[in-house]
Amino acid sequence: MTRPASPAFTPARARGRAAPGPQAPSMLGAVWRRLTSDTVIQLAVIAVLLIAWETVTRLGLVHPFLLPRLSAVLERIYNNALNGKVFMDLGLTLYRAAAGFFIGVAVAIPLGVMMARNAGVRWFFDPLVSIGFPMPKISFLPIFILWFGIFDTSKIVMIAFSCFFPVVSATYAGTLGVDKWVIWSARSFGARESQVLREVVLPMALPQILTGIQIAVPVGLITTVVTEMLMGGPGIGGSMMAAGRFADSVGVFAGIVEIAVLGAIVVKGVERMRAYLLRWHAEARH
Amino acid sequence: MNAARPQPARTDTAPGDVGIEIRDVSHQYGGRGGQGGVTALDHITLHIRANEFHALLGPSGCGKSTLLYLIGGFVPVQSGVIETRRGVVTGPSPDRGIVFQNFALFPWKTVLQNVLYGLEKLGLPKKDREDRARHFIDLVHLSGFENAYPSQLSGGMQQRAAIARTLAVDPEILLMDEPFGALDAQTRRVMQEELRAIFERTRKTVVFVTHDVQEAVFLADRISIMSARPGRIQHILDVDMDRSRGDEITKRPEFVDLGEHIWGLVRDQAIAATRGAH
Repeated sequence: MTRPASPAFTPARARGRAAPGPQAPSMLGAVWRRLTSDTVIQLAVIAVLLIAWETVTRLGLVHPFLLPRLSAVLERIYNNALNGKVFMDLGLTLYRAAAGFFIGVAVAIPLGVMMARNAGVRWFFDPLVSIGFPMPKISFLPIFILWFGIFDTSKIVMIAFSCFFPVVSATYAGTLGVDKWVIWSARSFGARESQVLREVVLPMALPQILTGIQIAVPVGLITTVVTEMLMGGPGIGGSMMAAGRFADSVGVFAGIVEIAVLGAIVVKGVERMRAYLLRWHAEARH
Repeated sequence: MNAARPQPARTDTAPGDVGIEIRDVSHQYGGRGGQGGVTALDHITLHIRANEFHALLGPSGCGKSTLLYLIGGFVPVQSGVIETRRGVVTGPSPDRGIVFQNFALFPWKTVLQNVLYGLEKLGLPKKDREDRARHFIDLVHLSGFENAYPSQLSGGMQQRAAIARTLAVDPEILLMDEPFGALDAQTRRVMQEELRAIFERTRKTVVFVTHDVQEAVFLADRISIMSARPGRIQHILDVDMDRSRGDEITKRPEFVDLGEHIWGLVRDQAIAATRGAH
């Protein structure tokens, strides 16, 4: 029983968005072109700044101790790469940041969901989160050193603690915002409460949870470097403080460039992950 | 039971021909212990026949959606009883499917995955699920869009997907909460015609909430007219029309007359609703 295409078939509201079918490739092409042109512009801005840096220092406008040459900084990074110091510093920093981040997120997501769905949990944790979120988390560092010692444990706890707040708030808000109708749909098909949570509430809240994660990632990296600076030892933060103590400004700038590159790669990676996980979302086609 | 009497050409076998029995149901929002809240439903008693298309017509805020959610089991019944052939309603169940005004599709699933969801919950074998899902996607004329996400579809197409998802699990009762309220006028008209055609073929018990008189007359076998808050059933009307010629019926004098008659009945309630009186 085939009928002629009816007006309701025309995706009127989808006009200008990707329609599945023959238009999709050209649409993808347009998105690709836009993305690449954005990337080109971003890279060009960075390149101009780096060239300006090198030029200013080469012309002797700034004392090399205050601002060493970019080429000298890159040479240092290259040498440190040859002797493995860069990889040890970056690896340790990344390990601490990742460990703290994942612990923080692993606690924050379930707690955020439970706060939204259980009044008892909300009453207990809502004031704590409200007080804790705007606090400078780093002020807890002496306590954590006291409790967890001067090595990695206290650093990782510190990082987890800072990553926890943006994710718990975003998860809480995202879970609260899930339409009751979507939940009711699932229940009408016989989904049990635990299935509703896993199969409906979490995916519906995912865009907001990912927003919280996108805030937590740089916060985690910042906290890692600051913690390393305060506590010393290997890692980018510790190495920069050590270089500073020896008035080695090239070493300090080498650390800044390393952490900048690491941060940019991680943040871009998280953006890619978001685009992949939310490929069903309308934002993926804007 | 009178076994010798010839039965009408309907598939139901239930005694008394009752699809949904609503007995003395009242509902309040807010307040505690029946005090200080807003009365949404006031002692509603209504017998919805098995396999009829029943429209609940009333002004906005009259509690018709609340009544539908109570039948669906999504909102607990505070006083009174709602009973189907499967027994007293205590919670949602796959034998009472629902379609919402805002579609309520799972946005991270494709059309096919949305339709498959209910079938997975039923525990059907994988091959059967797939075949069944494609059949119902075809029934609502969405073939070719199986792998599209809801955000890629127009409102009308999203509602088609939602209807397919609900019909696929073969519920005995189909609850519809102003399903075409968010669609433009042309799409709405097409969807109404197709819904009636699907109903003629599947013959479920349909409860259809609307505030649109034309829509109710066009679709329903019987119409319950509800008053503005607190919601009461004011009139129950039979729509007795030969529907064999599809949308032709809207031009017939008896259709126009019935519409005018019902509008006369609901007009005062609609005015009362817009003025916030109760």
